[in-house]
Amino acid sequence: MVVSGREVARPAVVSVRTAERGAWALRGFSLDRAFTAIAVLPTFVVMLCIFGIPLLFSLYLSFTGWALDQALMGGEFVGLANYEDLMNDPVFIGSLGITFGYTAASVAAQMMLGLAIALLLNIDLPYMRVLRTALVVPMMITPIVGALCWKLLLEPSLGFFNYLIGQKIVWLGMPATALLSVWVVSVWQSTPYVALILLAGLRSLPSEPLEAAAIDGANRRQSFWHVTLPLLRPYLLVALLLRVIFEFRAFDNIYALTGGGPANATMVLSMFTYLTSFVRFDFSLGAAASWIMLLISMITCLFFIATIRRRDAN
Amino acid sequence: MAMVVGSRRRRRLQAGLVYTALIALAVIFLFPVLWVLGLSLKTRLQVFADPPLFIWWPTLENYIDVLGRSDFLLAFVNTLVVAGSAVTLSLCVGVPAAYAFARFPFTGRSFLFFALLVMRMLPPIAVLVPMYVLFSKLGLATTRLSVVLAYSTFALPLVVWLMRGFFEDLPKELEESAWIDGAGRYRAFVHIVLPLAKPGMVAAGILCLQLAWNDFLFAAVLTNNATQTLPVKMMSFSAGDSGVDWGGLTASGMLVILPVIIFSFAAQRYLVAGLSSGAVKG
Repeated sequence: MVVSGREVARPAVVSVRTAERGAWALRGFSLDRAFTAIAVLPTFVVMLCIFGIPLLFSLYLSFTGWALDQALMGGEFVGLANYEDLMNDPVFIGSLGITFGYTAASVAAQMMLGLAIALLLNIDLPYMRVLRTALVVPMMITPIVGALCWKLLLEPSLGFFNYLIGQKIVWLGMPATALLSVWVVSVWQSTPYVALILLAGLRSLPSEPLEAAAIDGANRRQSFWHVTLPLLRPYLLVALLLRVIFEFRAFDNIYALTGGGPANATMVLSMFTYLTSFVRFDFSLGAAASWIMLLISMITCLFFIATIRRRDAN
Repeated sequence: MAMVVGSRRRRRLQAGLVYTALIALAVIFLFPVLWVLGLSLKTRLQVFADPPLFIWWPTLENYIDVLGRSDFLLAFVNTLVVAGSAVTLSLCVGVPAAYAFARFPFTGRSFLFFALLVMRMLPPIAVLVPMYVLFSKLGLATTRLSVVLAYSTFALPLVVWLMRGFFEDLPKELEESAWIDGAGRYRAFVHIVLPLAKPGMVAAGILCLQLAWNDFLFAAVLTNNATQTLPVKMMSFSAGDSGVDWGGLTASGMLVILPVIIFSFAAQRYLVAGLSSGAVKG
């Protein structure tokens, strides 16, 4: 289509306009050919500066012993020592397990609750818009403020929860309850996200298959399992991909609620990398940890994209 | 899609159950925010009341206090400047690229697009570690510019994703007729395409603004007292010299989320498109 546009445009310009203008058109022609390059170049440069170069630099850092008072490239090459240190660090190994467990548990709960909410919101009744708006509030508000609200609710002496159950439990001070609290907050915060994507999916589904199923005598449970759910699969996959990616890098909630404690019980990878880099100022070790995170999330991402593509191809 | 089969009575019963479930969920979902809103309207003495007060005469003293602090207002201005600049930069840089992605094949297109996807999906801490080191060596750390650049790591991919989808949905015929009438690619882009793309740019801008406004991690690392943003300022109320400043913390928390809630309602239509970052079209 692009080529045909150019073929039509040029003869018309050259023949109708004067020679001078023809020359302009010719010059314009060559500039026009550069249009794509000129349009993409700024994005490419910005990506290189704020993404490509930093990541390459962090890969370099992860193979050196580097301190902030050294010259930029002055670190001593140490090979895989930083990665070995991480593998021998029980806190890091623990944080891998906590991150995977936390991600799996949060995403599973968000997907199930989100699907239930989307199905409820999809029923055609008056005032559904108001309810939908109320239900998406946790997702809209600034994550760190949402987490702060929960921290105040869970406060041992003044919090509403302890008032409700009549006990003085230090929710965020014990490993098991701290992990549970962080999980509840992430489910609260991101279930609306899943619900909104799935609701958009449900709205876009064709009604014929369901009508056909009803005519064929399927009851509601059968048509949900055998018609709605398979049709919704692409939306479920996208919601799953995005939640896994975003929970894997969870930081704000945990920073506000527990800061990784107590006794490293909520030390997810982001928190570990943050503390290593910006509290202990060991940037080389932080870079190694962040490259491990990068690789894990890149593999996850590629796996999901392959699944979605394969599905699209069918 | 929704189908309700059965007698009228059953239908009414079902509607009742649906409303009950949804209202219960809405109450649970809204409660934490409403509780803190309540706290922000209490005096210091009322906050510490045990059992908690459920009925009281609301006071605005915490808000007056917070809004009267020059460091809070500075943080507000910083957030506006930083988020606004990041969005503007991403739109200026990303919109032409999105148009090229949507319309013209070029070498490296799929690679570049994949790189953008990776940029959107990767953990921000992974970019932040080297960025902090590079910025401090360049003398950029703790400047507003460093935060603007950091925010572009998520704003730019979002703009390109959303705008590419938007341009693909625009009819090609308009630009083609402009080209036939002798307009070059540039004139057609500026005079024909951009005006048509305004709604998409507004939507992408609002979504990026919301993300930038909500950021905590980048700003926490890359700013100091003079350049900090609102979420960072808010967190400082919980770690003051004299313990937690409940009034300041709750009132500033509510002030941080107020604009976000307004943005969100303004952009509700686009929320789903933005959430799925172009992964699902529509």
